Amino acid sequence: MKFFAYLLSLSFVLLGCTPTQPASTPATIRMAIAQAPLNLDPRYATDAASERVNRLLYERLVEFDASSKAVPALASWQQLSPLHYQFTLKHQSAFHDGQLLTAHDVKATYASFLTLPDAPHRAEFEHIARIAVVSNQVLHFYLKQPDPHFIEKLIIGILPATGIAQGHDFAHAPIGSGPLKFVRWQSALTLARVADGQQITLTEVKDPTVRVLKLLRAEVDVLQGDLPPELVGYLKSKPDITVKSHVGSNFSYLGLNMQDPVLKQLKVRQALAHAIDRQAIVRQVMVDQTRLAEAILPPEHYAGNRQLAPYAYRPLYAKQLLREAGIQLPLKLVYKTSTDAQRVRFATILQAQMAPAGIDLEIRSLDWGTFFEEIKQGQFQVYGLTWVGIKTPEIYAKAFASNATPPHGFNRGRYSDVTLDQLLLKESWPAVTQRIHQQLPYIPLWYEGQFAAYRAPVRDYAAQSDGNWDGLATIQLLK
Amino acid sequence: MRGQILISRCLSLLSVVFGVLLLTFLLIHLVPGDPVEVMLGESATAADSAALREELGLTQPLVIQFGTYLKKLAQGDLGQSIHTKTPITTLIQARYPATIKLALVALALGLLIGIPMGIFAALHAGHWQDFVVTIISVRFSAMPAFWLGPLLMLLLAVWLGWLPVSGMDHSTSIVLPALTLGFGLSAILTRMTRTSLLEVLNEDYIRTARAKGLSERTVIVKHALRAALLPIITIVGLQMGSLLAGTVITETIFSWDGIGRLLVESIEKRDYPITQACVLIIALSYVLINLLTDVLYRFADPRMRHA
Repeated sequence: MKFFAYLLSLSFVLLGCTPTQPASTPATIRMAIAQAPLNLDPRYATDAASERVNRLLYERLVEFDASSKAVPALASWQQLSPLHYQFTLKHQSAFHDGQLLTAHDVKATYASFLTLPDAPHRAEFEHIARIAVVSNQVLHFYLKQPDPHFIEKLIIGILPATGIAQGHDFAHAPIGSGPLKFVRWQSALTLARVADGQQITLTEVKDPTVRVLKLLRAEVDVLQGDLPPELVGYLKSKPDITVKSHVGSNFSYLGLNMQDPVLKQLKVRQALAHAIDRQAIVRQVMVDQTRLAEAILPPEHYAGNRQLAPYAYRPLYAKQLLREAGIQLPLKLVYKTSTDAQRVRFATILQAQMAPAGIDLEIRSLDWGTFFEEIKQGQFQVYGLTWVGIKTPEIYAKAFASNATPPHGFNRGRYSDVTLDQLLLKESWPAVTQRIHQQLPYIPLWYEGQFAAYRAPVRDYAAQSDGNWDGLATIQLLK
Repeated sequence: MRGQILISRCLSLLSVVFGVLLLTFLLIHLVPGDPVEVMLGESATAADSAALREELGLTQPLVIQFGTYLKKLAQGDLGQSIHTKTPITTLIQARYPATIKLALVALALGLLIGIPMGIFAALHAGHWQDFVVTIISVRFSAMPAFWLGPLLMLLLAVWLGWLPVSGMDHSTSIVLPALTLGFGLSAILTRMTRTSLLEVLNEDYIRTARAKGLSERTVIVKHALRAALLPIITIVGLQMGSLLAGTVITETIFSWDGIGRLLVESIEKRDYPITQACVLIIALSYVLINLLTDVLYRFADPRMRHA
């Protein structure tokens, strides 16, 4: 009896815990994210979370429209010659510390790349010969060699020249001129909207189930992306949670090693493409608005191609193609992927789908560092990855040109195709995408749908196609 | 004599720490993954990568790199993060107290639940009460943290609304991660206490104590339990060592900024100095707790003291 009394008193200790009342009208909008930003200096940021926050903290010279064409943001431009561009700041902006943003700040930002040996984006700007400031509003960029994609690269957030000169720690205490300003960064990152002072916190919660539970408990107000479909479905069933989906543009694919004696045969690659029932996967285990992909850039992109016919699921035809290629069945292939649960799930589905086609897929899931290193080293037969936030067709050259093998580019499959190289030089995007689709150095999979889930008092938060968090600049609370 | 034993234990523990350091150093330099590529990205030029590698001292032979590391370590310099340039001492100072706090609360909960349940089971050995406790403890020990944690969140945070789901913002935030760890620990302690107490209860001196007419409470508390709890010291020491090593999964699930989470993040980013520092701290904690357990055991057990 005494023992049960003891257990009862333990329960009372628990009951005595002061419940944290979920705020019904939070002064701050709280968003839970899967991965905290690593570096808020736009010259150094490479991870998705940092880039997404930096889009809110800083202004950029150019932006992309719905078809991913570069359009003026902070500045309009004129190409005076293949090596000479003039930029004119469109409006008077001010940094969050009160300083005016001028052409000197633009120059200081881009010039600093040339003196920072450890800046990841440095290579993209090494062909800048010099930058000349004409006035507070006008500046000129001179290049060492022509670059048709130069404008599209000018998406780095502009930093104040004085801060750059003083070696200010932008990574942890950013000063930008974007719609949100930095407040503090302790366990959570707190930002404030410049227009109305609305505070927004971004808290890292790695586990997807915990993010969902925090939303249900009203400990956070918004989630965006990074949830498995079953959790999205669960959230949809909750009356006090709103889930909004949006078509995505991040391209998922299977990468193939083109040096592999088996995979270098076109018929084998075609067999792989016909051995996957993408429709079934999209229908059964993907979030809403996921659509089949045929090329890295989606059809609505200005370099997109709507004419590419999908590879239908035909396992018997796939088997026939393998036999025609002289392959002894079953064809054993090793598929490398990360340890991410959703990735492993896809791998398992692919394994099951490919079996009737006579393909025996062995799954090897590795920690991210090891997995990515092996992919870059070309130590794979088949792997699965996603291109995130790609805006420019230059990706085709970086991913498939013969001279773009790592570390010179992202041609991790060591694909070499003279015909494609010529088409890439001409920048004939329909022909380029057609050729890649025919030759299959990648097996295209899908553009995963984007979604956001939120609860009152938040209203009208929308996910973006590339998963950015721009919606935080305009997110509103119910009155 | 006792001093000699202590010195000899300390020396052997130091050699263990050195071995751990060497092994960790070799392992993290031999696994695939390059911090320079993580920092600069794939589009970096070969020249930039080479320059940064040189700056970080990664071009030197491993022996030199290890020697430099040991030299700095002897001066109390754990280095700085490759990625954020933050001094590692600052990171450890920020993260380790959280792990210690969680470990102590989890241990307290484990003891508070486990020992009484073990005693209860032993006193009712062979009866239904023993069976129920055994079932509960087996269930607890079989529940992994990644399952038990969310289950407790759902029950105590979402449905009952008593506690926050995760984070470190409230004074009660520690309860759920501590319970997740404490339940597992309590299961081990329950089984251990039950077995140990049952053994002692069959000893002649317990029979003698009962024959003398002592009350059952006195027999259990003063005579049996004291002897039965000796093996528990070893178990508690080992478990405390594990808890201080950072409970990676629990810390990750509950967004608890402890050393386990720091270690995993550093491995993912190939931030070698942080990984080395975390492993050093964990190894030190483990051997110190082991040493403390040995010393405590000698004090608690007269047979060891006079051996």
